[in-house]
Amino acid sequence: MRLAADLGESLLIAMQAIRANKARGALTTLGIIIGIVAVVVTMTAANGLQNQFRQSFAAVGADVIYVSRTPWVMMDDFFVFRNRPHLQLRDAWALEDKLRGKAVVNPTMDTRRDVKYRSETIERMRIVGTTEKQTLVSTAQPEIGRFMSASDVTYKKKVCVIGSGVRDGLFGAESPINKEMKIGRTTFRVIGVMEEQGQGFMGGPDFDRQVFIPIGAYVKAFGGHRGRQDVSIAVKAPTKEAMEELEFEVTGQMRKIRKLRPAEPDNFSLNKLDTLVGAFNNIMGVVLLVGLLVTGISLFVGGVGVMNIMFVSVTERTREIGIRKAIGAKRHNILTQFLFESAAICLLGGVIGIAIAAIITAVLNAVLMPASLSIPILIVAVMVSIVTGVLAGFVPAYRGAKLDPVEALRYE
Amino acid sequence: MERNPASAAPVRAALSLRDVVKTYDMGADKVHALRGVSLDVARNEYIAIMGPSGSGKSTLMNVIGCLDVPTTGSYTLEGRAVAEMSENQLAEIRNRMIGFVFQTFNLLPRSDIFHNVELPLIYGGVGRVERRERAEQAIARVGLSDRMKHKPTELSGGQRQRVAIARALVFNPAIILADEPTGNLDSKTGDEIMAVLDELHEAGQTIILVTHEDYIAEHALRSVRLKDGAIESDVRKGARAQARARAS
Repeated sequence: MRLAADLGESLLIAMQAIRANKARGALTTLGIIIGIVAVVVTMTAANGLQNQFRQSFAAVGADVIYVSRTPWVMMDDFFVFRNRPHLQLRDAWALEDKLRGKAVVNPTMDTRRDVKYRSETIERMRIVGTTEKQTLVSTAQPEIGRFMSASDVTYKKKVCVIGSGVRDGLFGAESPINKEMKIGRTTFRVIGVMEEQGQGFMGGPDFDRQVFIPIGAYVKAFGGHRGRQDVSIAVKAPTKEAMEELEFEVTGQMRKIRKLRPAEPDNFSLNKLDTLVGAFNNIMGVVLLVGLLVTGISLFVGGVGVMNIMFVSVTERTREIGIRKAIGAKRHNILTQFLFESAAICLLGGVIGIAIAAIITAVLNAVLMPASLSIPILIVAVMVSIVTGVLAGFVPAYRGAKLDPVEALRYE
Repeated sequence: MERNPASAAPVRAALSLRDVVKTYDMGADKVHALRGVSLDVARNEYIAIMGPSGSGKSTLMNVIGCLDVPTTGSYTLEGRAVAEMSENQLAEIRNRMIGFVFQTFNLLPRSDIFHNVELPLIYGGVGRVERRERAEQAIARVGLSDRMKHKPTELSGGQRQRVAIARALVFNPAIILADEPTGNLDSKTGDEIMAVLDELHEAGQTIILVTHEDYIAEHALRSVRLKDGAIESDVRKGARAQARARAS
């Protein structure tokens, strides 16, 4: 009861004080508004990037190991990887043989070629040579038509399955099924269209803008036989838990296939979605840290503004403090009163800041990335503004609280 | 509180000062504001503290009002040794046992009358319902029930001082300490305020009046005159003078 009355009184005074000095309050609040906008937008943007990353790589599959010549994220000396021998299609078939019954193995090769349908051309489209197991390894499925069959692969049929972006670019509203399009100089028949995967991440692969063709047909049309082009081998674990064991198995089998002696290092790399996620999180962590540091500075400046105004407020109301003390206010009453005032100013700034940040986030979401203002971010923003208020108000409030009542009453 | 015939000896002490010394340290100089003041005030006494400026009367008022503590000497208020109390304990004593009435009213300008009067009860931790009841009672006692929602700036000086008296009364204090209560008022309004204080005394309230105006001090039944930080004279009015004072 006592505490409730104290807090009620403090809140009332805070509101009165802010109302009495609207212009001053508004200017002071501005600093906090800017700080909170910066904090919230930094967090929603970071969150948006993460969402976008996840969306773009959803097709990669979390339970798939990709065997390739070089790692996706190169930390070591590039030359170590450059001198490795190419991964060949026959390595892939050998691996499939060894892992039969344990995992699905799917080799792919890719290149860039112009694609053409009647008068429409798209330059340097990503062309992926793959097998019928593509749809087992990746989550992406055909939306219309069908994916290539085992016999399409075996007989190196000139058929293709196109991404939704390719369909939009080449065929427009027309149905592409059974239409013939040119990939480079070779004609392929469209048998299916993949469902939309969402935009690519920051210049990363755009899975909607690629064309799948049987890997044999790929080699025939675009070369790459006899190890002149790298093959990437996707190995899908039966469960996510089996990943670790599978990694050992794949490494062992690959070393056997490539006839490596025990002392020799691997001349191939195992890649997983986790590798990308890890690298991404490292970068995001640094970006977020720097972002928050910078926004922290703007919030600090805002806080200093509040502290300044609170000093003015305490000095102006010295007499009021005297009166309150004369009729029985204790130190903590005065302290709470001014802390509330300063917290209220900052909370007001925080709420306005959150509103502005919500608008900016909506714009980001519309034009750049899937950003959204989540509840945890809101809670953090509200807490940050209150804490800023309390920290900024503490020294002025303490000064007011320890005023001598006799002196304070005499103050004109 | 029982009625106490003014001519009779005090029944019980409301407050008692013994050899109170107050020295201010002003760098090199020491200012001796009070040089050993001893004073007993009984319950329901009506006492005026008088003296020219520099006589130590403000310091004495601050000590009696528990706004300040003596450098040496003892002060007992309603049986409690105030001189050794901490700041927060003093705040509690001021809250519950002393009602201040200032020359400049000292109301909170942004709060309405009700809130001004209610404030000591808030600091005293009284619940909402009881607070409302007691504040309304105190406001009714000074005849301002119809102004409860007004701001102090919307009232005349006399009305403001009535609000201040209501605020002083609201916790049923042991003493009301009025420091030049009519100093900022014209003489007619001043008389009205003094009539309110007289009435409170009639009802049993202990009142200490600090003033340098003789005609204000006339209202009191005892006058203590200070000079250079010591009590120069302490005069109780005779029964007849009191009767006259009451009649007028």
